[in-house]
Amino acid sequence: MTVIRFEGDELEAHPDDNVAVALYRAGVRTLSRSIKYHRPRGIFCLAGHCGACLMRIDGQPNVKACRTPCRDGLVVERQNAFPSADLDALAAADFFFPRGMDHHTLMTGNRALNVVMQKVVRQIGGLGRLPDQPVATLPAPRRRHVEVVVVGAGPAGLAAATALGRAGRQVLLVDEQDRPGGSYLADPRFGLAAADRAVQCARAAGAEILRDAAVLAWYPEDAPATGAPPGLLAVHVHGQGLLRLTAERYLYATGAYDQNALFADNDRPGVLAARAVGRLLVQHGIVAGRRPVVLGAGPYARALAEALQGAGAEVIRVDGVATRILAARGRSWVNGIEVLDPGGAKPRRISCDMVVVAALPAPASELPRQHGAGVTLRPEAGGFACIVGGTGEAARGVWACGDVTGFVGPAAAAWQGTAVGEAVARTFVDQP
Amino acid sequence: MSDKAAAMSGKTAVMSGKTIICRCEDVTLDDVHCSFELGYATVEEVKRYTGLGTGPCQGKECMVLAARLIVSVAHLGGAPATVAPFTARPPLESAPLAIFVAAAGDDEDPAR
Amino acid sequence: MKKGQACPTTGPVKPRCEIAIVGGGVMGLSIAYQLAKRGLTDVVVLESGYLSQGASGRNGGGVRMQWSTELNIALMQESIELCGSFAQETGVNVWFRQGGYLFLARTEVEREKMERNVALQNRHGVPTRMLDAASARDIVPELDVTGIVCACYNPKDGVLFPWPFLWGYAHQALRRGVAVHLDTAVTAIERGADGFLVHTSKGPVVAQRVIATAGAWSPAIARMVGVTLPTVPHRHEILSTEPLKPWLTPMVSVLSSGLYFSQSMRGEIVTGITVEDQHDGRVKLGSRLKFLTTLARELVALVPRLGGVKIVRQWAGPYDMSPDGRPILGEPPGVPGFHLCSGFVGHGFMMAPVIGKLYAEWLTGGSRHEVFEHCRLARFAEGRVESEEMIIG
Repeated sequence: MTVIRFEGDELEAHPDDNVAVALYRAGVRTLSRSIKYHRPRGIFCLAGHCGACLMRIDGQPNVKACRTPCRDGLVVERQNAFPSADLDALAAADFFFPRGMDHHTLMTGNRALNVVMQKVVRQIGGLGRLPDQPVATLPAPRRRHVEVVVVGAGPAGLAAATALGRAGRQVLLVDEQDRPGGSYLADPRFGLAAADRAVQCARAAGAEILRDAAVLAWYPEDAPATGAPPGLLAVHVHGQGLLRLTAERYLYATGAYDQNALFADNDRPGVLAARAVGRLLVQHGIVAGRRPVVLGAGPYARALAEALQGAGAEVIRVDGVATRILAARGRSWVNGIEVLDPGGAKPRRISCDMVVVAALPAPASELPRQHGAGVTLRPEAGGFACIVGGTGEAARGVWACGDVTGFVGPAAAAWQGTAVGEAVARTFVDQP
Repeated sequence: MSDKAAAMSGKTAVMSGKTIICRCEDVTLDDVHCSFELGYATVEEVKRYTGLGTGPCQGKECMVLAARLIVSVAHLGGAPATVAPFTARPPLESAPLAIFVAAAGDDEDPAR
Repeated sequence: MKKGQACPTTGPVKPRCEIAIVGGGVMGLSIAYQLAKRGLTDVVVLESGYLSQGASGRNGGGVRMQWSTELNIALMQESIELCGSFAQETGVNVWFRQGGYLFLARTEVEREKMERNVALQNRHGVPTRMLDAASARDIVPELDVTGIVCACYNPKDGVLFPWPFLWGYAHQALRRGVAVHLDTAVTAIERGADGFLVHTSKGPVVAQRVIATAGAWSPAIARMVGVTLPTVPHRHEILSTEPLKPWLTPMVSVLSSGLYFSQSMRGEIVTGITVEDQHDGRVKLGSRLKFLTTLARELVALVPRLGGVKIVRQWAGPYDMSPDGRPILGEPPGVPGFHLCSGFVGHGFMMAPVIGKLYAEWLTGGSRHEVFEHCRLARFAEGRVESEEMIIG
């Protein structure tokens, strides 16, 4: 067991836990307070995309707890709350402005009052405090050039890398998470076994996997070396610094971001993205909630509900379409929801201890867009889906596959990955 | 679970019934509707008027919600194909200044 | 702002108006607002994109009186005064905070320039004072002042948030009957006896007078009436960090590198630095890794504790560069009724409140401020040179 320090207490964590999971195991429900209204915040996505779990870790502010591995002696504190995150006096802002506060027009009438108001706003603004210390110097940046870069080691990326490797191409697979597998690791239908199998196939095919490495951007004007053509991927390899990466071909399998649904107090701790609950179950063996409401009607919602049920939870299904969710009730953790049944006149209360929001994830199309791909808003596909041709080509030298081209789920994403990987491999052969 | 942690769980904090669309900046659904009323009804304009998408997650959790709202609000007349996302700027994950310090001096001029 | 409030027009542009303002950034909207305040409301503002799409939405929000020419000092004194009353006048908060500007010098040559400029500023009633490096740390204790030879500080300078300036000016202008057209590009301008026929993507409008407030995009507008503007766009990159609790009082700037950094009301550090670039006459808005590495090296050396602070977003905007660092205002020779208003070299935003007021005074029959004489386009042909030296970013 690893022991971390949390606000004066020692907490035990499993060696594979990230800080957010360790705190969850320890029963810590409020991880932070929001920037304007100081509303309590807990875990939402558990994948480093939503900004709900920012904490002060080892004296550095605004660190994602879900992307920080536990280590002996790690110091974890909550931020932006006084006197404590559990009882934050500044949450009065949420209470005094129940319908919201239009900061554009707040107290503009009187100049003197306006100056005072601004002083107060500045004092209570911001999230974390300036770091206590400088950080240690990082290693010198590295530079690499490979035949094919595949960004995203989820179902699509692993399948594509496997296909490319089998065709004899040199492939570097880059994944931001500390463990490759992507959405397999959030899905009880696939789970660790499917992830590990896919990773083994990719490695056996010769693909190299660089994990804990977040691609920050495609920079079209920066060159990796003097005289080299401009264009490079800047990669933050956690704990190691910057990597300037270039390739002959770029394949984006960046997946999709978890989304919330819109209802009153939808940011209440205890309202989690479905795939976060999936991650807790699959990666950490945690059955979140004894009585969870699973909100959503799709195949993933169904599968997750069954898995939770099978693990002993009392699951309530709400489709969210015919029966609409109106609010998440409770205090600093959810204890019930209000729904409106079709043809119902009055809201109905359902008690629960978790709300599992299975909304369509939104394609993570920023990187292919930076690299010249177009997108189109397809609500039925989750959001702004990357536009690709028949073989997955999104722009010159750029391909995309899997959920980033429209949410399809792990099985279809893997199928696409194989097809597009093979197509990219063929472009090497076809060249004179 | 320690005693203190147990004591911490779920007792305090009354929340006020807001529907939050941008978690990072506490932008509510009402804020976005206000923006629509004022005539600022593209994703870029909603972002600027309400602050949606300008926080640590840079729109990963909220931009599509805003886009869907634009499409669904009848008088805005936005068919999905007409709605564009806001510019995808670097870095796509927030990154500490320190990693760029170590890389300084290493930049090369692109080929002319 | 309330429901039922006047909005930007989505329909076609009206057929005639007294003044057409080309460019709906802070400069154009400031002029429109000031004209409307003085009763001249038959004004059309034509903005090719959305509000704050141009430099007005991209700058770091700094406002200062510390300049090296009498004119700039005087103008900015008034502009800062106007910033202070903006929220009350327009009903929109701009988060103007007078935390001061702290300039740092690294060489004796810079020290000399600094002393000269501070003396000039003091003569004009600006309370800038010279400081030694140690005293600079009294104001910003987190600074590592290794290599800093001296500093100067004016507590009355400040920072604001630029976007709401546009809402404030636009809504007040709209309320008074000014038409603001977004997503409306000007494609051609014909000159005639009656004024100007301005062709737009939403139809033509005959305007008696035209004001070109298109910032870095002004040369194309001026060319439409046969005027060549000697301005060129220089890209300046900028970034903001995650929000921190308040710790930084002033805007800090290092003259030798053009580094500047300040803390916004939301707590982010907003910062930029000069980076070598290829200038090809186009407005470039892309981001470079080279900017991040150049900036990080300078900023973290100056404030070591910032090493772990995370960058959330980088973007860019154009500085509209004029050959002598002074803007280009007034009517160009041979085109009466066409008014220039660009070339502000990265400090147009902070000048907009006062320039708007001065232009409106003149155009509604009031006095013509000396700045319009001082900044005539014709000065380049006449060979007058008095440059502004305190440019940062």
